Amino acid sequence: MPVTQQLYMFLRSKGFQLLVVCFAVLALIPIFITDSFFLFVFTLIFIFAIYAASWNFLANSGQGSLGHAVFLGIGGFASAIIGGKISIAIIGFLGVIQMPIGALSVLIQVSVLLVGGLISAGIGLLIGLACVRLKAWYLAIVTFGFSVIAGSLSSQFDSFTNGISGFAPTLFVPGGFPFYILVISFTVTSVAVMYLIMKSRMGLAFRAIHGNEAEAKMIGINTAKYKLIAFVISTFFAGIAGGLYVYFIRFVDNSIFSPTNSFLPLIMTVIGGLGTVSGPVIGAIFLTSVGQILTTQSVRQYLSTSLGPFFPKVGYVGPPLTYLIIGVILLAIVIFSPKGLESLFRKFYNYLITEEKGDKTK
Amino acid sequence: MDITAGTIVLTLIWGVAIGCIYMLLATGLNIIFGVMKLVNFAHGQFLMIGAYLTWAISVAAGLNAYIAILVSMALVAGLGVVIERFTFRRVLGTEKLNEIFVSLGLIYIFENAALLIWGDQSQQIVSPFSGLSLNLQSFSITYDRIVAVFVVVAVLVGFGLLIGKTKIGLAMRATSQSNGTAKLMGINVEKIYMITFALGSALAAAAGGLYGIIFSFNAQTGAMPTIIAFAIIILGGLGSIRGAIVGGLLYGIAEQMATLFLGGIWSTAVAFALLIIILIIRPNGIFGEKGE
Repeated sequence: MPVTQQLYMFLRSKGFQLLVVCFAVLALIPIFITDSFFLFVFTLIFIFAIYAASWNFLANSGQGSLGHAVFLGIGGFASAIIGGKISIAIIGFLGVIQMPIGALSVLIQVSVLLVGGLISAGIGLLIGLACVRLKAWYLAIVTFGFSVIAGSLSSQFDSFTNGISGFAPTLFVPGGFPFYILVISFTVTSVAVMYLIMKSRMGLAFRAIHGNEAEAKMIGINTAKYKLIAFVISTFFAGIAGGLYVYFIRFVDNSIFSPTNSFLPLIMTVIGGLGTVSGPVIGAIFLTSVGQILTTQSVRQYLSTSLGPFFPKVGYVGPPLTYLIIGVILLAIVIFSPKGLESLFRKFYNYLITEEKGDKTK
Repeated sequence: MDITAGTIVLTLIWGVAIGCIYMLLATGLNIIFGVMKLVNFAHGQFLMIGAYLTWAISVAAGLNAYIAILVSMALVAGLGVVIERFTFRRVLGTEKLNEIFVSLGLIYIFENAALLIWGDQSQQIVSPFSGLSLNLQSFSITYDRIVAVFVVVAVLVGFGLLIGKTKIGLAMRATSQSNGTAKLMGINVEKIYMITFALGSALAAAAGGLYGIIFSFNAQTGAMPTIIAFAIIILGGLGSIRGAIVGGLLYGIAEQMATLFLGGIWSTAVAFALLIIILIIRPNGIFGEKGE
């Protein structure tokens, strides 16, 4: 009974309604903004939102990873390779040249992504076993080390992964709007699931470990077990994000294991707000938009003509300038507002509310 | 490739030369950790900046590259003071993750500032010994690598004297043992932090100069050496200078041997594999003390 009752409570709760509204709004956006560039940016944002949220989930249990690209990469490679094999099998079975589009292919796409996530979680379990005893920078360096090793392994077994030259996965769901819907369904579900876990008893244990591991152990929490669980859940979602990412940009090679990809979710989470639900999403929106806006044609041209002459050694000032600014923003956030943009928005909102109330009393 | 006794000896010597550079970098990282209990993940970026400054000074002023290293050490030490004052001091004592975040921000700033100023092409510092090498019967080794070993030894001896024999060194050692007690003894801990950070940065800059003479470098050069230096001090024990020296040599030789026997793509991965295995067995490093 309690399970069905809980489910009923959940379906009636404000959180669930908010979720439905979120999903509806997100799904409707591309109908009003039909520009394909915006659709591209939005899809990318929500893929990175899952990725950043998975990193944030891990950080909530007191573990900071500097090598999350391992799981992005494993999820991506696994789903792309498995998807490729399935599509070959189906095409061989049906005797057609292209994949038929329909409910079946959506089902295949979703299960391929889930399998990618599961494989990533499996590797996550193994790596997590190595990591549970480590703290702070030891953990950071070891997770980073695994991302370097993953790149080397992928090069070593190139005949299986095709990682050196890279390859394009076979799409089951057509790109553009249908894929966008797929991505936001995954994003909304993933973020909601991670939120629910954080609200549950297990989440309480995670937060206790984050607060003080020694004390958590003292009050009877099996810290190693819970840290491992957090690791596996986080890597599962990172793997799903990896699968979506690979299917979205339609290419995967060894560069997916790069440090840039490892640092990305961390920067998004910190800028957005560490330890909050909306933080990673805000960070993903912020960072991805800044990055994408700077690559648009008009901005490129403007930057080249206005700032280009000052830096004659670089072909195009955009990317280094972006990363420089991101670095400055990251520093400013950590030093001046450690709770991220989320807390700034909250303060601003509270300020507005009190202003209004103040007006009423006059 | 034929692996003969000659190539193995050559690889050993290369390993020692490269190990010496890493040793210098690791010592800088280690002194900062020992005194401030801070891990600066942007330490390799100081190496990169040091290499670029050495290159720029030796090109612009026509200085001998080895003298330019001294100038660049002084400049990077100054940069270190500014960085410590305005970033790390503000997050010191808060959550450990914040230090990692600040380092990451610094990495982005340094790398891209260097990219904007010096461009994306690789550079190499021209030293007076460039192109010259010592020829023995079966192999030859460039003079620059031999000189690098001597420079590192000289810098480390000077550094050891500073720590062991001077009043500032004494204050640094006191602060590393307990900053609270050091404060009570009348040591200006903040000043010691500043000096330590400047010293660590200067060591990184020296490593950068030597690195730039032996290898070509670009704006992204700093990332890998940071990680390697970190691996070395974990091998040798956080805070132990002697450990950093032994660890640096071991690492340099292991890396070159891995390249020789397994191929280039494995040179860093093998080192990490070693590091991970060690940390799984001993979560606080080989010589590290047990925490909490």
